[in-house]
Parts: sequence; C-alpha cells; structure tokens
Amino acid sequence: MTRILDPTLRAVKTIGTAPLAPRPSRLAGARIGLLANGKSNGMPLLERIALILGERHAIVEVVRVAKTNASVPVTEAEAQPLLERCAAVVTAIGD
Amino acid sequence: MAREPDGIDLDDPWQAIEVCYEQGWTDGLPVVPATEALVERMLASGPWAPDEVLLHEPARDRAVTAFKAAVNAVLAGCRPEYFPVIGAALTAIGDPGFELHGPATSTGGAALMVIVNGPVRRRLGIQSKANLFGPGFRANATIGRALRLVLLNCLECRPGVLDKSTQGWPGKYSLCFAEDEEASPWEPLSVARGFRAGQSTVTVFAAESGHNVLSHGTRSPERLLTLFAETMAGLGSLSPGRSVVVLAPEHAGHLARERWGRTRIQAWLYERAWRSLADLKRAGKVEPAFLTNPRLLEWLYRHHAAGVPFPPPDPGAAECITAEDETVRVHRGLGPDDILLCVGGGEAGGHSAFFPSWSRGRSVPFITKEVPA
Repeated sequence: MTRILDPTLRAVKTIGTAPLAPRPSRLAGARIGLLANGKSNGMPLLERIALILGERHAIVEVVRVAKTNASVPVTEAEAQPLLERCAAVVTAIGD
Repeated sequence: MAREPDGIDLDDPWQAIEVCYEQGWTDGLPVVPATEALVERMLASGPWAPDEVLLHEPARDRAVTAFKAAVNAVLAGCRPEYFPVIGAALTAIGDPGFELHGPATSTGGAALMVIVNGPVRRRLGIQSKANLFGPGFRANATIGRALRLVLLNCLECRPGVLDKSTQGWPGKYSLCFAEDEEASPWEPLSVARGFRAGQSTVTVFAAESGHNVLSHGTRSPERLLTLFAETMAGLGSLSPGRSVVVLAPEHAGHLARERWGRTRIQAWLYERAWRSLADLKRAGKVEPAFLTNPRLLEWLYRHHAAGVPFPPPDPGAAECITAEDETVRVHRGLGPDDILLCVGGGEAGGHSAFFPSWSRGRSVPFITKEVPA
C-alpha cells in the first residue's frame, strides 16, 4: 500500500482570519457603494444593480469607486470613501 | 514531518495515475503520483523547511509551503535537483510587485515564463539552444509545469473557474528556458539585472504567446531591428506592458558584428515600436475606460506632439478620431527598460521571438531572484 499525497490546499488553513462583515438588516435609507474593477464594463454592470436596488429598497445615495488596476486588491485610499460613507458595498468585475 | 500528510492509499501505480486525474490534480497530462518518499527527496534538495511559505497570494490569501510545492514538483515529473529553481521561481511570482492574481486568472491567458541564468543551467540541463521553447528537455518541460500545477492545485486556478483564460496557449503547460550565455555577445541577462556573474537566477514574466521574428534577408542591424520593432508594434498586442525579445544567435551575431550593445538595442526598439493614436482608435484598441484611467492616459499621451493638449477625461473620445490623433505616437511599453533582451535558440536559423506582456494594461514587471545553492 502506498499513499499518494494531496497537492492541494483543501486541508490547509489559509493565513487570513478576516471575518465577513455583518450584513445590513435593511437597505431602505442606506448609502450603497459600488466598487468596480476599472475595466470598461465593470461600472455599467454595477449601475444596473444599483438601479434595481433603488427600485426595491429605497436606497438614498450611491458612492462609485473604480480601481485603476484591476489585478490588485482595492487600495486603502480607494476603499476609504466606501468605508466612511456606505452601509454596504457591491463589487463586481466587468471585462 | 509532524503529522501524516493528507493523501490517498493505493496499491496499483497505474491506478494512482488515474486517481490523480479523478482528483483534478493534473494539467491534462499524466502526473507522477507523489509518494512521501519522492516528496521528501524533492524537499531535501532545497534549503527550505517543509512549512516555509514560498508563495503567498494576497488577493485570495493562499500560502504555498515548500512541502506543497514539492508535492507539485513531483507530480510535474521534476528531478529533485530542480527544486531550488522551482522554489526561486515561486518566490519570484509571489513577489508582491508581480501581482500574481492578475496573470493567474485573467481572460488574457498568461503563461508564466521562467528564464534561467548562471551555472545551474548546465548542471540541470536546461535547454538554451535548438528548440528551447519546444519539447525534448525534461528540465524545461517540468520546471514550468511545476509552477502551473501549483497554480492549479494550490491557488485553484482551474480553467473556466478561477483561470478565466479566453483561449490560453500551450506555454501555459510550461515555459521555462535558459539564456544561451555562451552564444550571447553581451553580459548575461542576470548581470544586466544586477546580479553577479556566476550567480544562478530565475527571471519571471507573464507572457502572451510568442511571435516569430523571421529574417534571413539582412545582416544590417537597422533593417533587422526594424523587423523587430514592426512586430512589437503589432496592434493585436500593443499595450503599455513590457516585452521579452529572445534573439536567435544568428540575429544576435548580426548586431554584435556592428557593436550594437544591449542598451542601444533597447532604446532603438522602444523608439520605433509605436503606432499612432488614430491607428489605435481605428482598430478599436482605445476603450472608453482608458480615457478615464490616469495610468492609461499617461501611456497614450506620453509622447504627444508639442501643441496637442492632454485631453480631459472623456470616454466618448474613444471612437472619435481627430487630426491630432494622427500625430500622437503610442509606443509599446513606457521606456527602453521595458524591453528585456536575451539570447537563445539553435545555431542555425534567423528565427527570434517576441513575447508581449499579458494584459491590455501595464501588466506585471520582470522579477529576478537568485536560485539558492
């Protein structure tokens, strides 16, 4: 009997311990952030989502941020207005 | 090892290969099932402790230890003595500046190019001469493959799931080769990148598929380099990204005979590898989002002629071609240092290669790391 070893990380804990943010209990009256990857179709996709959220949940304002580099995580400077002003943020990629 | 490693117990070697397929642990080719003894031999030939992290990918927070790298190196068919090169290459693609999440997942379908310099080339038999990008050489075939298997197995870059390559290309199986330092008229690439002569290094790059630069018709450096510049200015791949140019020994010889050095060639190519902004717009290469992105605007108007105002962000201008756009030269890359020159290939033949960076944007830099002894 020979054991062949698992090459994946499925059984391995990742380094990060960041918990998921609590979900907002209601969106009515909330300010919503849109974080796009910065490619041509990222923000148009999010705008459609914001439109639907506006129709269904009476959100009061939308804050828009587009990354200048789609390949890297959002920077602190880019995230700042979302952190300071928004109850929830929707992010998406659009190529 | 502190505890028994995760795995599957089997009797039959052929069944083991099939189980690796069933588990999704392959790149489509058969793998060498990784037994504990093989993995221990692989690990023993590198300087890293089993739990040492060789690569941390921050976007998805995945840490690849030397142990997991060794398991994948065994799967790839590597000999244990290749492991220091693999570890150095993983460290290089894990450099924060390399921004691995992009080339690992993008629709652009980047291959991870590994260029090897120094004594380790000969010791491991990494091909730098005839057919160096093609089949026939275990080190070339399996070192790059080990990187790809790490991406597949550890970073979960599965085709169509996290690896969203629209088409990909065969270099994604493995793209590892050595510079032919002996045939090069110039200092080794590693020395040009700041390392000592005699140090072994890997230089990594996220590459689109290569373009053959075919010329048997001239020995003139200017005519030859015109062909390279024309290839590099092809609109299909034109971007602010870097370029890798692998000169065949015959082409390198034509340049050396007239005493052209590396820096002069880089400057010459950068100066001539450009298209007008109007050409880019005519071919639909300017997306509306480019004209609101400061990084891309800086590229498009980097060499704008005197008198042409830097335009205010206006996505509507992407398809509007003005007389001024005919005068704006948009170069490949941002400067001569964005062109990496090295030498490789068979003694016979006027076939060099140009590899564009992956991505329509700036893409990622060249990263060079020393291979540990």
